[in-house]
Amino acid sequence: MKAVDLHKKLEENTGLLIFGILFVSSIGGLVQVLPSIFQESLSTPSENTRPYGALELVGRDIYIREACSVCHSQQVRPILAEVKRYGPYSRAGESVYDRPFLWGSKRTGPDLHRVGGKYSDIWHRLHLIDPRSVVNNSIMPAYPWLAERPANADDDIQLKMLVLRKLGHPYTDAEIEAAPIALEGLMEIDALIAYLQVLGASAPPGDKP
Amino acid sequence: MKTVISDWLLFRLLFQPNAVFEELSEIRPEPHSVFFKYVIWLAMAPPLFAYIGASNFGWRIGAATPLHIPSESLVIVSIVYFFALLVGFVSTAVVAKSIAATYGARHSLGIHFALVTIIAAPLAVGSSIHLYPDVFINVLVLIPTLIWSMYLLYKGLPVVLKISPERGMLMASALIGVLLVALVSLLGLSVALWGRGIGPSLGV
Amino acid sequence: MEYYRDRVVRFLVICSIVWAVLGMTVGVYVAAELLWPTIDFGQQWLSFGRLRTLHTNGIIFGFGVSALMGTAFYSVQRTSHVTLFAPRLAWFTAVAWQITVLAGGISLLAGWNAAKEYAELEWPFDILITIAWVSFAIVFFGTITRRKIKQIYVSNWFYGGLIIVIAMLHIVNSLAIPVTLSKSYSLFSGAPDAVVQWWYGHNAVGFLLTGGFLGMMYYFLPKHANRPIWSYRLSIVAFWAFTYSYIWAGPHHLHYSSIPEWVQSLAVAMSLILLAPSWATMINGIMTVSGASQKLRTDPALKFIVLSLAFYGLATFEGPMMAIKSVNVVSHYTDWTIGHVHSGALGWNAMITFGTFYFLVPRLVGAELYSVRLANIHFWLALAGTMLYILAMWGAGISQGLLWLGLDEIGELSFSFKDIMASMPPYYALRFVAGLIFLSGTILMAYNLIMTTKGRKTLQVRPPEATT
Repeated sequence: MKAVDLHKKLEENTGLLIFGILFVSSIGGLVQVLPSIFQESLSTPSENTRPYGALELVGRDIYIREACSVCHSQQVRPILAEVKRYGPYSRAGESVYDRPFLWGSKRTGPDLHRVGGKYSDIWHRLHLIDPRSVVNNSIMPAYPWLAERPANADDDIQLKMLVLRKLGHPYTDAEIEAAPIALEGLMEIDALIAYLQVLGASAPPGDKP
Repeated sequence: MKTVISDWLLFRLLFQPNAVFEELSEIRPEPHSVFFKYVIWLAMAPPLFAYIGASNFGWRIGAATPLHIPSESLVIVSIVYFFALLVGFVSTAVVAKSIAATYGARHSLGIHFALVTIIAAPLAVGSSIHLYPDVFINVLVLIPTLIWSMYLLYKGLPVVLKISPERGMLMASALIGVLLVALVSLLGLSVALWGRGIGPSLGV
Repeated sequence: MEYYRDRVVRFLVICSIVWAVLGMTVGVYVAAELLWPTIDFGQQWLSFGRLRTLHTNGIIFGFGVSALMGTAFYSVQRTSHVTLFAPRLAWFTAVAWQITVLAGGISLLAGWNAAKEYAELEWPFDILITIAWVSFAIVFFGTITRRKIKQIYVSNWFYGGLIIVIAMLHIVNSLAIPVTLSKSYSLFSGAPDAVVQWWYGHNAVGFLLTGGFLGMMYYFLPKHANRPIWSYRLSIVAFWAFTYSYIWAGPHHLHYSSIPEWVQSLAVAMSLILLAPSWATMINGIMTVSGASQKLRTDPALKFIVLSLAFYGLATFEGPMMAIKSVNVVSHYTDWTIGHVHSGALGWNAMITFGTFYFLVPRLVGAELYSVRLANIHFWLALAGTMLYILAMWGAGISQGLLWLGLDEIGELSFSFKDIMASMPPYYALRFVAGLIFLSGTILMAYNLIMTTKGRKTLQVRPPEATT
């Protein structure tokens, strides 16, 4: 049957048309997406990659809440200028515990995948509360409320870690038990800084500048 | 039909565009005469200005110090720019000729060469801003220049190609689509060449 | 005797226009925040990250989907010569969708964020979306099944593709385990998650913003121009090639990232191949409208349609071009991507919707457009705003891309990130002005269409009598 005739059949039958569209549109996904989901190397943590600790996890979720990914990427490309500017390029094994991935698609601000350890906690604190106090021409918004809300305000860290464990993150019972203690007395800004300071710790050994 | 374009046509375009359109509607120029009398020279202007500006000052892309461009690259970039403009010109004219029948317009290649020359003329004039190689200033000057070109396109096309203003609007809009694609192709081509080392030194 | 169900169409068109004005206002505000970062006044809900997310969601799901639903309901009836299947379900779809967008938008301001582009709404809203979408599918396909004309018209293939493919993408990309009402963790992580997200993200653009609106074009353009589609054969080939190839292009959002090379390369190839069916459809539209020139003088809406096709051509050329790795290496992460998005969103989606609304709304109430002059002014404002936006973002994007990669004579980085950012304000100022211009045109349209429908009931139109 010629292709145009096949189409004519589909064009006269709702069910066939629906099926035809579904079939044709799923091929690309099956070929590209399925292998990526099941490919071992993309789901195996690299040597220095470990799940986020309680405080870091809270910090990461704040990063997500404030939509930091909208301006900051977390994926250094294997390009000379980029490696010079940011550090070792990002490997797949480093983001296995990132739900969702936060590679970003825009750099209004710099890439943050290797920001850990580059600035002191104090610098981050000043920068988050008022970016222009440390970077005079910055257009980053200020986040003063982070210093006013306790890190454990939502009281859900143990639930979060339990869900993540279900998804395959190797948290021990002891770690989950101890999680609320890690947050005690700290504000959201401390959590976010803790998260920022581990970004880059997962870089391959020997690659560090 | 006459084939000879009268003198100082482009100069008169500045002050009496309508008269120029009317005149062109009555003649049938030869493509090669338009090309060698006008197009080559117009196409030389932007690369020449760009070369002079860049070699004397370097391209400032906003940040204080200019972008570093090795001098051998500058010459190659200017030459490629020149040929890219010629290719853009000829392809736009050829596309215009190929769609002319759809709109009932005149379809001699020469008249389409002449039409595209008219649209391109403001761009050649505006490219003098390349002598001041700051990207933002160039973008700023490009805006009124493009507006001027588009004005000449919408006003001139129906007269020169002898169709109604409404059909002219449709054909001009189709050409705008082509020109936008040509412009973005120029951007993409430039970027791809720069990444290959022909242009500013990039760490790719 | 039944009448076409057009009151739900009118409702959806009104909602679409409201979201357009709201969404574009938020867009202008965030553009201003990039120039004057302190205008969030220290308030969480005015913070750039949250407002930008509100902008994208409000425009795509509020403005875009409402327009698609309204025009789908209008056109599916008329191309099938029957009234809507399950009209109460159609109303449910329309209202449930608005509630989802409204409540979802508020949740975004509150910081509920799944952090996946164009899928930021958290899991409760994912469920609401699914419910509304399933009812949309039932009404739409139910109507087609009841049709009195043997062939399913081409616009319905595209609307159908919109419904089916978005359903598939949404369900897979939203897979997550809820933790609390406002938070979930995605089933996928890291590189696989990236591939899933951009399979979704790119094809949301492909089947919602491109395919769905092509459905709009295939119905309204021939009606508007009073001429049949130029080539039926071309529309068949283009539709299936489009539906097949678009899906593969997603990973071009992930060039030089840590996803497998072969996936990136495939994406490049398919993105280039995609150019053919995209442009084939555009040519079909241009050739159809080319015979309608005499209407241009009295019909400003047709101008919108014509230019929308030109910008469609630009955007569908620029996309594959930016998918080429040697271009992408400079353009990725820059404002060039933003420029590309808006050449499509403003130049194609908004303009064709405006053209369609100017045609549709007067017909819905059986009146003339309130002011042809205002519509013409709107046209020039929309064109100017779009062109200015594109030029500003091309300038900003290419500058950023080059400066980030720039090396000096001894091979060291020439510019600090901070200094590069310092050169962006002039472009951002141009873009802010562009947005203001575009928004003012949209507001003119809202006024014009309000005045057109004021005090008028929706016209009652009967489907044609059966011919067999």
